[in-house]
Amino acid sequence: MQATMWQYVARRCLLALLVLLLVSFVVFSLVRMLPGDTVLLQLSEFGALTPEALEQARRELGLDRPFLEQYGTWMWGLLRGDLGESLTTGRPVSEMLARRINVTLHLAIMSLIISLVVAIPIGILSAIRQDSVLDYGGRLFAILGLSLPNFWIGVVVITYLAIWFNWVPVRALEPIWVNPLKTLPQIIIPAAIIGFRLSAVTMRMTRSSLLEVLREDYIRTAWAKGLRERTVIVRHVLKNAFIPVVTIIGQLFSLLLGGTVIIEFIFLLPGVGSLTLDAVMLRDYTLIQGIVMFFATVMVGMNLLVDLTYAWFDPRIRY
Amino acid sequence: VYRWIKTPKAIIFTSLMLGLLFAVACGTSAPATTEPTAPPTTAPAAGAAAVPTPQASPTPTGGAVACGGDPTPTPYACAAPALIQELDERFPLPPPVPPWPPRRGGVLHIPTSVLRDLDPTSDYGTEMLLIYDQLLEWEATWYFPEVQRIPTIRNNLVESWEMVDPATWDFHLKQGVTFHDRPPVNGREMTAEDVKYSYELLRTKPGWSLAATSVESVEVLDTYTARFNLKFALAEFPTLHTNGFAPAIVPREAVEAPGGLLENPIGTGAFILEEFVPGEGALLVRNPNYHLSLKGEQLPFVDAVRLIFTRDAATQTALFRTQQVDLLRPPTLDSLYQILDTVPDAWLYRVPSFMWGAYTLLLNLDEEPFNDVRVRRAISMAINREVVKEVINRGDASLIGPFPWALAGFTERADYTYENLGPYYEYNPEKARELLAEAGYPDGFETTIELAEYRGYAFEDFAVLVAKFLSDIGIRAELKQLDTATWTTKRRGGEPFDGILAALTPSGSGPTDWHWVYLPYHSTSGPTVNIGSIYDAQVDELLNQWRETPAEEQLAIQKQLWERLTDQMYRVQVIVPPHYRLTQSYVHAGGNPYCWYIGFCSYEAKTTWLTENAPVRGFERFSQ
Repeated sequence: MQATMWQYVARRCLLALLVLLLVSFVVFSLVRMLPGDTVLLQLSEFGALTPEALEQARRELGLDRPFLEQYGTWMWGLLRGDLGESLTTGRPVSEMLARRINVTLHLAIMSLIISLVVAIPIGILSAIRQDSVLDYGGRLFAILGLSLPNFWIGVVVITYLAIWFNWVPVRALEPIWVNPLKTLPQIIIPAAIIGFRLSAVTMRMTRSSLLEVLREDYIRTAWAKGLRERTVIVRHVLKNAFIPVVTIIGQLFSLLLGGTVIIEFIFLLPGVGSLTLDAVMLRDYTLIQGIVMFFATVMVGMNLLVDLTYAWFDPRIRY
Repeated sequence: VYRWIKTPKAIIFTSLMLGLLFAVACGTSAPATTEPTAPPTTAPAAGAAAVPTPQASPTPTGGAVACGGDPTPTPYACAAPALIQELDERFPLPPPVPPWPPRRGGVLHIPTSVLRDLDPTSDYGTEMLLIYDQLLEWEATWYFPEVQRIPTIRNNLVESWEMVDPATWDFHLKQGVTFHDRPPVNGREMTAEDVKYSYELLRTKPGWSLAATSVESVEVLDTYTARFNLKFALAEFPTLHTNGFAPAIVPREAVEAPGGLLENPIGTGAFILEEFVPGEGALLVRNPNYHLSLKGEQLPFVDAVRLIFTRDAATQTALFRTQQVDLLRPPTLDSLYQILDTVPDAWLYRVPSFMWGAYTLLLNLDEEPFNDVRVRRAISMAINREVVKEVINRGDASLIGPFPWALAGFTERADYTYENLGPYYEYNPEKARELLAEAGYPDGFETTIELAEYRGYAFEDFAVLVAKFLSDIGIRAELKQLDTATWTTKRRGGEPFDGILAALTPSGSGPTDWHWVYLPYHSTSGPTVNIGSIYDAQVDELLNQWRETPAEEQLAIQKQLWERLTDQMYRVQVIVPPHYRLTQSYVHAGGNPYCWYIGFCSYEAKTTWLTENAPVRGFERFSQ
């Protein structure tokens, strides 16, 4: 069985490499098909430059070279672990990513923790007390979480916190292990806003998955055997019901790494989301390519991890 | 649930919730509806028109303007002049002169858009001029026509200059100006070699190339004298060094050191870059050896400047409300009122725009039908600019011509009239239809208006309005929303646009004719500067003549250019809202209150000072 498992992992890794190669070509081609000129976009609001200066700047950035030559150079760098240099700042893309990922990871992990802490108990309670007041409350919470957009909640929260409590986001996020007392209050509100939406999704998934499992024959057998409710729920229901929940948590975490851009804007958190948007807005090709490759790698890795955890939750699953 | 809904408890609960929602909504609505000093909704049209606002519009011809004579004006339209009047009363023009002598110390917090870096060799931003000096700078410009009509130049690094011939200029540098005392430059003196090196280094860099377009070469005559050999005679050459886009003076050692200016940001400026935190902001501390002084007091007055990068308007407002930043630029009258509602002691500089931020239609002049002057005139005459003012900014906006009013000799605000713009700026749809018919389009034509979201400008409202006005004369315009990057590239001449581009006027960086008139309209400028590639032999001839004419005689040519360009309508300029600059009550805008905008006018951070009521802020590191 162990050998089969390793074969599966090896096969998936090979496929992942192919996927990443394909992604690299697609993203390299697509960003160059976008309308917009990176040199002109770097000018300030009232800036302009002569056509000669424009041509020279393009040459200096290597944008006048043939497409395949540019792709080959970039791929050669990738193979050596070099994501290239940003067209707009000249800094290494990997360095820029490393600096920003810290903020995004803080936000993503904290949001995920908040959502799990909130969503799973509510989801379980909603399912095992179906159609009770608790269930209605939980469903109302989920509907609100799904229907209220993050950006709206963010703007409302920041506006009223400033007016009522004279509070605004603090500048410069330090890693939580350096100064938890400073970082936690700074990150908790944006994380809670993101976590609110995530918990709505997770809560609904937990509830529906539990309801499905609760109706299975083996659960009825467990009840018939006279097992305690806690034993039935924890040992027999939760483990089976969590397979789709884990899947969705894995996907949500991957999405969070790039999907917190609006909250980053509002709460002055310079994470990967805002870096991505800047890169797209300025048509910073190498930065876009580097970020997409990074996300693609994370996505592929997360999917692999999620697939492997299935076996732990459900021993019937074989590779 | 159904049974519960029918109970009295549910009805009371629902009513309470609705009441609460209503109260919250009223509490956050625009003050136009809650402001007690605003006129009642029954305010007569004549009363509103009689408000003596500095930007009072002339009577439009033939337009159905709600507050300009319509017997049933809408409350919306009539509210605006009263709101503006209230602003005029609270924040009179000219603004009070700050007390003297200034108080030293404190940390000034400025919100800016996100800067990628402060390295002039790879980027451009007016904030860089806190670190780097240029040869000259504006001390004050035409921002307040009532009090300030003549621009004043501040000799920054230059003692004096002289014209050898119109194509050769000598600049004599100040002695004893030193670079920041940081390795590898270690506070050495700035010389003519640095001027030559900087111009040669930056002349082709994006952002800096425009001002150096005319420079053929720079010679070092002696340690303190640099000679500029120009490609052609240019009487206005000295003023080109005053605007924010003239090359900054940088030391060769810092550029050539490992990491270049990115790692060694050393200039002669008023502030030294202490820390740059990508995506978050920067901390700049006072240069103790700065060479400039104001009325005998060495600049700058504040100990440090903290630039705080923000992207979201709500966040900026929250930062201002909580005194985390000291100035703010609200984009619209509505947003201004909302802020003043919660920060009642803030001070407002309501600065008439020279021309920056003017709503304009750029036309594809290479193709039919826009290559026909009658069509361009028809488009201009189809637009009711008074309604555009109302919709874009509740009436708080000015008319604008092909280039800034002051450059055509209109220095009084009362000059900003339709009469001075000629016949094709007036709203006259009948005449517009006649012009279209004459041009061979009696049934109009189909076209596209491209637009995008850009920094809070109301392009969507603008484009919808224009499309409506054009449809009134038979031009069927389809709106096409672009992403901001594509739109910006088109706006900067990097790509052609389909038909009409709803945009801002191609603008200069300082109040010079070179930037506002010569470059944007001369056919040799190239498509990235002359947006839309205007080619008019008569305009070229006038511009060439202007270039070689002594400064005191240039105005007559500028007036001819104004007449020609208002007649030909290559770009359809519509309106320009004023700039709103809010400062905290503890901030004084240095020695000159007329010019409170870093980068475009005397770089006021170095003349700003803070009263004892300013928050106490540390400046050892950015994150404090």
